Order: sequence, then structure tokens, then C-alpha cells
Amino acid sequence: MGEHGIGTREEWQAARDELAKLEAEHADRNEKIKEKRRALPWVRVEKEYEFDTEDGKKTLAELFDGRSQLLAYTIMFGPDYTKGACPGCTSLGDGLDGSLVHLNHRDVTLLCFSRAPIERLTAYKERMGWEFPYVSTYNTEFPFDFELALTEEQAQHIPEIKEMVEDPPDWLVEWSHQIGAELKDGLREGPTWIAFAREDETVYHTYTVGAPDPFVAPYFSFLLDCTPKPQPEEPRTFRKDEYPD
Amino acid sequence: MGVMAEHRVGTREEYDAAREELLKEEKELTRRGDDLARKRRELPWVPVEKEYTFDTSEGTKTLADLFEGRSQLLVYHFMFGPPYEAGCPVCSSIADTLDPQVVHLKDRDTTLLLASRAPLKKLLAFRERMGWGIDWVSSNGSDFNRDLGFLHTEDELKPFLEGEIPPTVEQNARMCGTDAGGYVSEGPGLSVYALSDGTVYRTYVTTARGLEPAMAYYGLLDRTPKGRDESATAPLWVRRHDEYV
Repeated sequence: MGEHGIGTREEWQAARDELAKLEAEHADRNEKIKEKRRALPWVRVEKEYEFDTEDGKKTLAELFDGRSQLLAYTIMFGPDYTKGACPGCTSLGDGLDGSLVHLNHRDVTLLCFSRAPIERLTAYKERMGWEFPYVSTYNTEFPFDFELALTEEQAQHIPEIKEMVEDPPDWLVEWSHQIGAELKDGLREGPTWIAFAREDETVYHTYTVGAPDPFVAPYFSFLLDCTPKPQPEEPRTFRKDEYPD
Repeated sequence: MGVMAEHRVGTREEYDAAREELLKEEKELTRRGDDLARKRRELPWVPVEKEYTFDTSEGTKTLADLFEGRSQLLVYHFMFGPPYEAGCPVCSSIADTLDPQVVHLKDRDTTLLLASRAPLKKLLAFRERMGWGIDWVSSNGSDFNRDLGFLHTEDELKPFLEGEIPPTVEQNARMCGTDAGGYVSEGPGLSVYALSDGTVYRTYVTTARGLEPAMAYYGLLDRTPKGRDESATAPLWVRRHDEYV
């Protein structure tokens, strides 16, 4: 179970106090980053997009649902995925409903995007028991304009992706089976958070963040960061209804 | 919508340049976060000598029993003291996020549950109201909370209660059907244990600011254009998920 000694309560407390200083320093650093994040320039979204939602076609402005902020996670679930979304993204999705009502009361609409057609997203949402709105970007330029997905041509020109497709580690081969798509297609989706603001009728893009930011990891990874056992480098992830017993 | 924080509108190029700079800092923060997780794992383990017992829906259990055959245990100390009529609203918002993580953590050899001092019957009735499935145990009748520093005596609270009570404390106390003294006698926290060769070790404890990541909605708000947008003087906006108006 990793490198650790057995100690007395006093020894633990002394080490814990030292660690608390570093944790506080970390929190202060995060405060400064948050300020800088809010200082990023907003970029006006000029193009008109139309998305398939559970309630019919909607524009980007309409996705705000009357609120002034939109925060969206892109779940890796491309049109080529025959067995459902990426299991890791799915576990992240499992954690969102707990925040949904709280954010909605802070002027934030929280939703997820994927590129698969809406019927498949709706069926998957039902299977997972999710509440948040799930919006399809199928047949729109939106995911490519905002770097939430790669075109086939783009993917072929990224050395890291080429390497993963040609010589995938075992976990990635398994992942490809879990989503039911070839890696060359599966890896074109980018697990990404994107934020927009709406003022009057104008929509602005304000922020995008992707892996390896911990914000793109399932919520339980924060809890595992507090546990004594080190986690495997590339742990297998499962959808909650597919865990082997 | 004039309430939106001050911001400037820029071109995509201006955003990209500012984003690039910020990304460096975010990456550095991620690296430091990984360091902290490693340092937590290096803390000495302290054998838990005392025999604590808990009321659970499956009868009385020891701390070792609570692991349910896994080797790691995470306990969220939910503020719900014997005089409370309902659980703390902020702890409730935390439980909204913890609840769906239980299934995923099991696969990582980790049991996650809630513990409070109110009688089990009260806890389970409130859990049903909130629609959570996470296990909840009552530590009523043992020194579990006190030994961790999550239960305060009247004497200890005297200086706090004689000062000006923060409006959030007044509000939360009222929402729990108790007074400020009754409310803050309970403290929130996360305590973490390992089970090895039949011995239970306490490995990590955190509270206050250390619990902020447990409020998943804050992490989400931190990526939105307005951020948390909280007033320093107004009481906290967080409500139980069925109590927003």
C-alpha cells in the first residue's frame, strides 16, 4: 500500500500541519488563477448554430434557457460510437446532476454536448438516469469551430493521436471495445468543458478547458486524491451499470 | 443583466494568447495538486485504538465493519446533530455530489459513507426525503466525532457565540430547526481510513477550506464567466435541492 510509515497521533498531526500549509498555498494559487480566468476577453460568437435537443431545434442563445451563463461538458460520444459514450466521460456525467439545481439557481445552465445524433443521446441519458440537458452537435460545425472534436483530416495530422491509433496501449484497446468504435474515429472527440455568456442577444465564448486539467476527470478522482492507496496509472473505467462483480 | 462582472470583449486571437498564458498556470496547479495527493499518501498511518460503534441500517457496526470488505474508507461528517430537525443545507449540497460517486469508488476498493450524530431514524428519514442511496451511519453514543474535532462543547463555542454570529450561520441554524450554538456544535469534515491485516488506521482528515472541492458546484462556478459571485455580507445562497424558490 504505497510508501507510508505507522505513526503516533502526534507524529501524524505534525506532518498534517505541514501539509495543511501546502494545501492552503495551493488554494491561494487557485484563487489567483480564478481571477485571471474571469479576466479573459470574451469573444463574440458570430456564427449561427442550430442544435438538436430533446425539445427540438435550438440556437446557441436558446440553450441558455433564459440564464446568462452556459457551462457545457463535451462527452466523448461520436457518431461512430456503436456501444455508447466513453465510460470515463460517463462517470463524469454521473456527478453533474448533483450540481444541476444549485447552478441553475446561480444563473448558470449546465448541459452536455456530444456529436452522436440526438436519438442516441436521449436513449443513453435515459439508460444512465441523467437529468441534465443533453444536446447533439450532430451535423453542425460547432464542435470543429470550438475544438471539441477533430475532423478526420485533423486527426491524421496529430502525431500523438496517430501513435495511439497505430500502437495503442491495452487499456485503449479495451476502451475502443467499450465504445464500439475504431480508435481512429473514437479519438476524434475531445473531452472538454466550454463556457459562454449571453448579454442581451449576443453570445460570447468565455473559456475552454480540456484534459489533462483535473476538471475533466470524474468527480471521484478528487476523493481518491485523499485516500491512502496509490491509484493505477491507467485505471480501467466502467459505466456504472457495467461493473464486473 | 448589468450585474455581469466587468469584462472586456476581444478577438479570438486575443483570447487565445491570454488563454495560453493561463493554461501554463493551470498546468502548474495541476502538477502541484498531484504532489499534494502524493504527500497525503506519505502521511503516517495512525492505528485507531478505540472501539467505535455505529448504528447502521444493518445493526450496530464497528469502524472496521464499515469498510465492507474494502481496504479504504472515506467518511463524510455530515452536520446533523441530535437536536437538528433536518440536515445542514450545505452538507446536503455536498451529499448531492457524493451520492453518485459511491458506485464508482467501490470499484477502486473504497467505501464512501456519511456519518452524523443524530439518531439513525432521523438520518434515514432525511435521506429518503433527499433521494440519496449513500449509506448513512449514526455515531451517536460514541466519541467518534469528538475525537476527530468535529464536535465542540459549549465552553469551546462560547467565544464564537458571544461574538457577532455570521448571517450564514444564523440562516443555516434556522433551516436546521436549531439555534446557532446547536448548529455549530457539529463540525463538517472528511476522515479517511485504511484497513490492513485487521487493523484500522486513520490516514487523513480535512475540514473547512479543505472541504471546498466536495462542493462540486463551486468547481463548476469557478469556470463560468461570473464565477461564484458571492457577497461578503449576505447569507449563503445554498439551499437543500428541494428548497429553492
